[in-house]
Order: sequence, then structure tokens, then C-alpha cells
Amino acid sequence: MERIVRGRGVAASWYGIARTATIDRAGAWVEIDDGGTAKVVTGVTEIGEGILTVLAQIAAEELGIKPEQVTIGDNDTARAPEAAHAGATRQTYMIGNSVALASRDARTKLDREIADHWNVKPEDIRAFDGEIWAEGSNLRMSMEEAVDICKKRGVVPVGSGSFTAHGTGLDPVDGSGSPWQAYVFGCQVAEVEVDTVTGEVQVLGMWAAHDIGRVINPRGVEGQIEGGIVQGLGQALMEDYRLENGHTTTHGFAKYILPTSLDIPEITSILVEDHDPRSPLGAKGIGEPALVPTAPAILNAIHDATGVRIRSLPATPEKILAALAEKRARDGVREAAE
Amino acid sequence: MLSCDDYLKPKSLKEALQAVAQAPAGSRVIAGGTDTLPWAREGRAGDVHVPALIDVTKVAEFQGTRIENGRCRIGAAVPYQPFLDDVSLRAALPCMPYCAIWFADDQIREQATLAGNIVNASPVADGTPALLTLNAEVELARLEGDEVAFRRMKLAEFITGPGRTQLMPGELVAAIECETAEGYGGSFEKVGARRSLVISSVCVAGLVKTSEDGRSFADVRLAAGGVGPVAFRFDDIEDELVGAEISEAAVEKAADHAARRVASRSRVEYRREVIRGFVIRAVEDALARARPAIPHTPSLKEAIHA
Amino acid sequence: MPEQVLELTVNGRKQKKIAKPGARLLDFLRDELNLTGAKEGCGAGECGTCSVFVDGKLVKSCLMPAMKADGATIETVEGLANKGELTPLQRAFHKTGASQCGYCIPGMVMAATSALRENPFADREEIKERLGGNICRCTGYQKIFEAVELARDVMNGRLPATAIDVDEKAEKYIGANVRRLDAPSKVSGSLRYAGDMTMPGMLHMQVLRSPHAHAKILSIDTSEAEALEGVECVVTHEDVPGEDGFGVFVHDQPIMARDKVRYVGEAVAAVAAEDLATARKALGLIRVEYEELPAVFDPFEAMKPGAPKIHDYADGNLTKHIPIRKGDVENGFAEADVIIEETYSTQAVEHAYLEPEAGLAYVDHDGVVTVLSPSQNITHHRHMLSKIIAKPINKVRFIMSAVGGGFGGKEDMIYQGMLALAAMKTMRPVRLVFTREESIATTAKRHPFTTRLKVGFKKDGRITAAEMEAVADGGAYGLSTEGVMRKAAILSCGPYDIANVKVDTRGIYTNNTPSGAFRTFGGMQVQFAMESHMDLAAERLGLDPFEIRYLNAMRDGAVTHTQQKLDSVSATRVMEAAEKASNWERGVPNGRGATRSDLGGPGTRKACTLGARLAEQADHRVEEEVA
Repeated sequence: MERIVRGRGVAASWYGIARTATIDRAGAWVEIDDGGTAKVVTGVTEIGEGILTVLAQIAAEELGIKPEQVTIGDNDTARAPEAAHAGATRQTYMIGNSVALASRDARTKLDREIADHWNVKPEDIRAFDGEIWAEGSNLRMSMEEAVDICKKRGVVPVGSGSFTAHGTGLDPVDGSGSPWQAYVFGCQVAEVEVDTVTGEVQVLGMWAAHDIGRVINPRGVEGQIEGGIVQGLGQALMEDYRLENGHTTTHGFAKYILPTSLDIPEITSILVEDHDPRSPLGAKGIGEPALVPTAPAILNAIHDATGVRIRSLPATPEKILAALAEKRARDGVREAAE
Repeated sequence: MLSCDDYLKPKSLKEALQAVAQAPAGSRVIAGGTDTLPWAREGRAGDVHVPALIDVTKVAEFQGTRIENGRCRIGAAVPYQPFLDDVSLRAALPCMPYCAIWFADDQIREQATLAGNIVNASPVADGTPALLTLNAEVELARLEGDEVAFRRMKLAEFITGPGRTQLMPGELVAAIECETAEGYGGSFEKVGARRSLVISSVCVAGLVKTSEDGRSFADVRLAAGGVGPVAFRFDDIEDELVGAEISEAAVEKAADHAARRVASRSRVEYRREVIRGFVIRAVEDALARARPAIPHTPSLKEAIHA
Repeated sequence: MPEQVLELTVNGRKQKKIAKPGARLLDFLRDELNLTGAKEGCGAGECGTCSVFVDGKLVKSCLMPAMKADGATIETVEGLANKGELTPLQRAFHKTGASQCGYCIPGMVMAATSALRENPFADREEIKERLGGNICRCTGYQKIFEAVELARDVMNGRLPATAIDVDEKAEKYIGANVRRLDAPSKVSGSLRYAGDMTMPGMLHMQVLRSPHAHAKILSIDTSEAEALEGVECVVTHEDVPGEDGFGVFVHDQPIMARDKVRYVGEAVAAVAAEDLATARKALGLIRVEYEELPAVFDPFEAMKPGAPKIHDYADGNLTKHIPIRKGDVENGFAEADVIIEETYSTQAVEHAYLEPEAGLAYVDHDGVVTVLSPSQNITHHRHMLSKIIAKPINKVRFIMSAVGGGFGGKEDMIYQGMLALAAMKTMRPVRLVFTREESIATTAKRHPFTTRLKVGFKKDGRITAAEMEAVADGGAYGLSTEGVMRKAAILSCGPYDIANVKVDTRGIYTNNTPSGAFRTFGGMQVQFAMESHMDLAAERLGLDPFEIRYLNAMRDGAVTHTQQKLDSVSATRVMEAAEKASNWERGVPNGRGATRSDLGGPGTRKACTLGARLAEQADHRVEEEVA
């Protein structure tokens, strides 16, 4: 066998959005504030995935202001409405939709006052990027002025939103049920190089196509896919928490091996938008689904390159070399038999 | 966590040796500190309290490298990074840049010293096999009465087992001295669980010099780490190759002897599998970088695969 | 404690301070100078979050005794730019979205700064090598490389500054690449995580943990520890006033072990003291008498009759069994031309967020017990803690501090309870920061699965039936195991339309480190099995891997394994997109890599051979001369 061999593999996947087999909920409050800014308050926040920015984009879009004009007050059980937890690929779906609903509620109150002020119908009011206007007229002003007018009329434009996802429990006997109202699908292709002297695998390329529903922030979605793939790669090739009689032998990062900048592939993300019909935004999610197909795509690629199939993760250099030796022995026996 | 009552930074070798002599029992000498600090943590030594840490990196005599008369003297405080950055060191010690790039990472290479790597005598230390190919010696300093005295020994003799050396109580490694190898091609092959900041499972250092016509091996030096209690030279393979015509067959045949030298206690099969390929690769990579007397460089690698 | 005087220049200002001789430069910067941009990710030089410049050379400050830096000039992330400003590199990180949780980012910015200082023309390979000592767990590094390349080109004049500073004008904000609002605080090191926060009068907590995998606790004597000067309190299960139990689905884990310990590293007692060293010292003075019990470390062993029973309520050590039955698998297998059966296994995986667990608790002026921590579930934690400390829910407050990576690992309330108890007992703020080793050894892991999968296929590749039996090691406590078993069962056989399905997932208690929530929640383990199996089948049946997947993929209106009728299904759309983007060459997956012609194309990188700078340096000299 050549010293360096290459191959490709594919894996498909699916995933459900928000909490599983239960009703999920999240709440938010919004106030269109002085200066044409806004306060958004919700119970759970950023764990690194970019939800603060996503919420600011959603609020900006719904309120007609700029994302940087949105202040998000969050993450405090004594100060903010419940948004449940940060997990289950539910942030954009649950909290995003609750912020959209709360923003719409606040806008309804503002629009009613401005429509009355201009003597137009509330449904003709539009706003974007800090400007508010009446469709089919030359009536236009800044959001700052609009808030001022609204308040002078005695109204603080506040809104609240609660979003529900209707999952149902599973039947205890046959497991039947509708655990999620939104599903996403993914597919990844991996290209690997295997060093048959050392058994090392280098993943050179990954192509990741994921349905995430309506995309709020493409760059943020790519970041989730890239991060998910590298975690999947770590699990596929090197990460291994080990115990001996209950005592760990992988105490620190010298023993628990994580992917570094030198271990990662070029990643091409393809965002497929199958909008969710059951929610105001049409967005779904990407946090967890991104890493589901990575390990099998890589392992299938290793098989493509070498003809050996590793069934137990991680596919360490040692395991691959042992499998190659076994294959050589097997092929040798087969050749001898023929 | 590591704690101490006193942190000493002697400025001269004599001061350092005196500090070592006078420090209460249990005190430790540190250079870069990159092994000592992680050692004093859970899963290894746990919380450690030492009376004194004696930091020898400011000792004047331990500074810098000097190349003259075909020898290179590496002060005990010299970290790894210069072997990558310094053009004259790279030319003089052709396997060292490839060893250094595999050693830890840029930050740790600025702190960790080559001498420290040797004194720890880890069977998987990256520096040892590379220095073995350079026929390195260690210079050891001690106090005799009020005077500083030295002795010198081959690196191969200095390291006697995992974590064991011939360093006597009160002694310090003052320098490493090795041959320079201008005109040689250097190589360093390593495999671990990933490609950066990782401990070797197996590593092989190589130095190759070709004959003037570029057709045969004038000199071959190969050493392995990670495959036994101490790093070692492949004398038998070297003997077989020196003088031989450069060919793939010759290298592969010589490499067949590699596996039997593997004496690790764990993962023996894996290490045996890898070591043969690494010997071939170390020769091949070094050959490709060797500077032959006649400009044959591009075709050398091809010659091997011919 | 002995002290030595340390004089150095930090970010252009002279500092003269008294330091403990053993303190690390990292401690000195964070504790004495309040420069918390350098983070402690591992304390062992393995992650790079603590990187700072010392006399112009980038080093890991967790590996450097502070005294070693005496007389040196130090530059930290806070000193890279003028106050309130960002360097081009920091702005490029903002532009490309290179920060996610942000915890590794100050160190990453420092490493990238060093890379470009060392070589302003470094190519991508060299940049990667120069970042090789810095771990990022969120981003996958891709956007970081983009940022460094962008900054490089602006700094060396190949691109105008607008390439960093100007964004496309958005027509709509939904769907636009709006820059992350939290990025400036992350790239500048100014964002404070829980472990960066202090309060006046704050105590430091350390935790005594079980050395045994399974043992009865006969007694705990804290008197000697409590008597130690500087110790403010010791808490044990005896301090719990209410119903002691937490978990995500079943509340089977006490705040600290009571009656027995079930895994190595389980919290047994906690000390709050004036400083960390005293708290650590006090741990050694707590006397715990154990009686070791037989332990079980393998879920298959744990299921056997007569195995040690870990929780009284759980017969057969079963945490949760989820069955799924659809159609009739026996009929399905009878119809099959080929039946493939295999067993797959996946390992325990550590979340390895760069921010180890940390929290700060206090009782406020209104008597509200407040816990500030990077919790992924403040809602549920508040519910549980109110029962545990027997207070009305509005007297318990959880604040979610900036989370330096979660991935499910910070959903469990494994330490917040101890902090609350100590704050209540002392009426002082108490902070606990885990070491990396503590984080790895004592917090939840991804469930290791052993998955037996049997699938029947017609000759044309159509699946007739699938049967899966998955057994997962749940470790010593329930945490998220029930939910993980449920999600694994629902997703089990992948995005395929299968008429006959039989699935059983079982989570089993063992005396191993507990398993819990981890990104995909059981989804990846079962689909690893199914997706490996699809390729095995394609090889047996002579089909291309995409082909067999298209053939079986769910389509609009499909009925799932749990008999839910879906409306729109994008499975084939994403497959088509991946096949097209990767320019996939069709064929049977029989180890045909050597014969493929679709390798090495756009979207791939060169293999890493290390030493990019050794090859590159020559090139740049040429380039500079030409310029």
C-alpha cells in the first residue's frame, strides 16, 4: 500500500429543534426606548453561539431600527422573563421567536399612536433602520421622533411575547409521538488522507450542507457548522476520556487530546433554507445538528482510503495501523487460498 | 499547585552551584519551568511545596550558543526557539529545526530549554534523539571546595533510564556541546495523537550526508525516541548504509532492522510498525535536504523512488 | 507566607508589588494587577489562554513563575491597543466572527499578534503553526484564520483598512452578516467571566472529593478544618435545609454526597476560606471514614443480576429505557435480501470548554440567595435550589455569567448548591473556580454508547427493517441520561423512511464519571452507527453511498420512526447540495480512494507537514527584495 492514501466519505443526519417530546416555551419583553433604541429582556443568553446578535437582528428587523440600537437585558431569574435553558438547539427558535412576538407587540402599540398622529391606518405603518413611514404617503420621521410622540401621547411602547413549541410525549410502549414540530436535515462529505506508516488521519476537506430554516446570520451559522465539525472530528479521531476503575487517566489537556489549528480541514458550508411554517420567523437551528454527521463521514472516508472500517471511536493512529495489519493478513490469506 | 518559600535567581555559575549546595533538602532547580509547573498539579504530583526554587536561566555562563571549529556549544539556558529562528544554528545543526518545530508550541519553545529537556530524561523527549545524531556531550558543573569544576560525558551515557541521569547531587548541566553538521540534510519524524503540542509516541531524528557525486551515503546518523526506556542510535542501520549506493532498496533493507530495537512497555506492536517507516522517511527527508557537492538535489528523492 | 518584591513594567506602566515566591505570572497579573484578560484554561501550558508577551516573546503565563519575570516588560491583551481602541487584528476578529464564547480569544489574539509580529507575510500554513499552542473549542478555527489573514493584509498594505472596517450595507437585518455585538469585549479581554469577578469580603471555596468509586460514608469530621485560621466554614450534606437532590430529569444527586459516594471525584465537603491556599490546606484536615463497596464500571456488567446496586430505586441499574416499535421488524427482515448486523461503539467525550466551571454566590440585602455562574439552565437551577435550601422561589436568584463554552456541560447544577450553602452559612460572598483537572474528572461526559444495529435491505438498496439496541453508560447519576436515551431512540435510524423499526435505548448507572448533556444529546452516537451501516450496505449491494441514501431518505410527508407525519422534509435537498458542492464522484465504497478523480480539489487544504516557516522564510526574503 502507498504510504499516503486518500479517500472520501459521506454521512447524512437529522435532528429536532428545541426540547424533546414536551411542550417548550420561552418569554421576552421589549420596550421601544428613547432615541429610537430598544430594550429586549429575556431569561437566557449567549453561550458563545451568537444568540445576542441574532436577537438584536430580530428585534431590529421587527422594530425597524438598527441592531446596534438594541440593548439586551438578559440572564437573570429575578429580572427577566423565563426563557428556560440554553441548549437543545432552541435559542434561535424559542427565544428568537419570543423576541419577534414581543417586538411585534411593542410595534403594534407604537404604530397605533403614530397612525393616529398621522391620521393613517396602523397597518400602513412601516419602519426600517431607524426610520418610520406610512406606506403610500410622504409621511416619514425618525424612530427617535416617533418614540417621543408616542410617549407625549402617554404611551410607553412595550410588548411581551411568549413562544410555544408543541412537542408531545412518547408512548411508553411503542414510542409513538411527535417529539418536535421542526426538524432539520444535514449531510457532510469528508476528504481524508491516511498515513499508512503512522496510521495518522488528516481531514483535508469537509463539505457541510445543512437545512437551518430561515437564516438570521449566515456567518454565525457557518461558525456553528465549523465548530461542530471540529468537535465531531475530535471525537472521530482523538478525543477519549478514559477511566481505570473509575479513576480518570486523562486528567488534563496533555492527555485529553483536542484538535488544534493544525488538525482541522478546510470547511465549506452550504446553507439550505427550508423555512419553518409553524413559527413567526421561519428559522430553525444549527447548534447541535452540525456535528452529527461528521464522525461517520470521516470514518467512511477512512474506509474509502484504506479499505479498513473502524467501528469504535476514536479512530486513533494505533487503531488504524492495527486494522491495516489485520487487513494485510486477511488479504494475504485470501490470496494464498486463491 | 507549586509553592515555595524562596525563589532564587543566581547570576553566575558559582552562585548557582552555591545556591544548589546550600538550599534546603527538597529544593528544585528550574530552567524554563515548563515541566515543573504542570508536574505540581492534580493527576501528577498534586500540590507541592518546595523550600526553594533555583532558577538558573539568568546564569551568565548558561547564555547563548557558540559555533566554532566544527562544534556547537549550547548554554543550559538556551530555549528551543533559536533552533528554528537562528539561521546559523539551522545550518550548523540541520536536524534541530525539524525537531524544534515538533516540540510543543511557539510559546513553550520560548521558555523551555534544550538542557532542561535532556535533564528530565523523559524517554519521549524530542531533543534527545536529535542531539544523539549530533554526537552531543553534556558539560556538568560542580563545586570543588570554592572552585567550579567541570566534567563532560557523552549524552548517550548521561541518560541512564526514564527520568534517570548521571547528574550527581550538587551538579548542574552547564551546556550541551555537539558536532556541527554543515552539509548534512536533517530530518525529524514524529507521531503523537495530533500534530501540535503533543507528546511523541515515536520519533526519529536523522542526519544524512551524501558522497561528492551524490550517489552514495557518505554518512548516515539515525536515532529514535519513544520506543524504549532511553533514546538510542541505530548503529547497525547506519553501518549498513554508510558507503552504500543510494537506493530505495538499500534504505528499506536497512530499515528492516529497526523494529527489533523497540523495547517499550506499552503499545509495542504500534511502535514496531511505525519505526521502520520512520527510519525510511528520516533518511529520505534528510536526503532531500542534504546539500550535495554537485547540484543533484531535485533528483535525489526521485533516485530513491526509481 | 514569605514574600518577595517584584518590579516589572506591564503595558507601559511600572509596577512594584510584593509577590508570593511561588506565584505564577498569571496569578500576579490577574490577582495583583486585576488584568483578567489572560485566562486560566488549563494551568498546564496546554491551551494558550494565558499567553502574554514577556520582553517581546510570547509565553504561557501559567508556566512562568512571577519571579522569573522580575525586571521584565510585560504586554497583555489589555495593552495591545490604546484604551478603548482595538488593533487591526482585534477588529479583524470582530469582522470575521472569529470569537464565539470568547474565552480562548484573548490568548488567540496574543498568539496571532505574535505570529504577525514575527512574520508580517506569514501564509496560512505558518499562521496555523503559530497558533498551534492555542486551543479553541467553539469556532473550528476557520474564522480565526480568516481574521489573521485579513489583518495581515491590511497591516502589510496589501489591502486597504476599509477591508476590515467597512461592512456591506444591509437591506434587511435578518439574513445579514451583522457583526457579533459581544465581540469587542471578547477580543479586548475586557469581558469578565465568573472566575474573573471578585466582591469585597469574598471567600474562596475548595471542594473535598471522593477518592472512591463506590463507598459508604461512615463519618465526616470537619472540626479540625473549621479550626484552621482563615477558614470561615465547611459545608457538608448536613447543611442542606431542604430536599437535597438535583438532576435534569430525575433529582438523584445530592449537593454533596450523603450516605455514600458513587464516583471518584464526587463532592463530599467544601471549605470557604479567606484565600485559596488556606482552603486547599483545610481540605486535608477533613476526616472522612469510608467503607468501600463493590463497584461496577461497565454498563453490561451493571445490568446483570447481582451487580452492585448504585441507587436504591433503580433495579438492574437502569436509569431509563426508551422503546420504539413501528411496523413489524420480523416481517421486514423476512422480506430482506441482505441483512447486515454490526456493533458500534463511541467513547466518553469531555466538553472541554476553555472556561472551567466557576461561580460566585452571595446573600443580598433582601436575603435573596444569589448565584452567579455560567449556567446553561438558570431557570431549572433556581427551581431546584429553592427546594434544596427550602426558600421561596423569589428568594433564590440565578444570574448567568458570560459562558466560556457550554456544549451541554454547564446544564448540570453540580457546584452552585455548595456555593449557596456556604454563602448562607457565612453571609459573605463565596467564589469557586474549578481547576482544569477538577473540571475533567468530576463533570459530565458524552454518553459512551454500544450500539448493535441490524438492518435488512432489498437488492436494490431499499431498507425493509431496522433494529437497534443501544446501551449507554450513564455513570453514577442520572443528570440528562433519560433525555439522551429518548433523543437517541427518536433519531436512531437516521433520516430514512423505514416501515419496520424496533429500537431500544438503555441508560445504565455505573460507578463511572456521570454522563450528561453534550451537543447532540445522544443523536451522534446512534447516527454514527446508522451512517457507518449505510456505507457497509452500499458496498455489499454495489451502490454509491449517496445513491443508497437518496433511495431511503425521508421525503415530504414521511412518517418518522416515532410515527410522526412530517410535512416538508429537506433530507434530499441537503444531500444534493453536499454532493454538488463536493463535486462527488460516484462509485461503490469498497476502498476505492486510490482510483478517485475528485480528490484534492477546491475546498481542501494541503496536508500539514510542519515547518511552514522553514520553507517560507526563504520565499519572503525574495518577495521583499523584489518589492
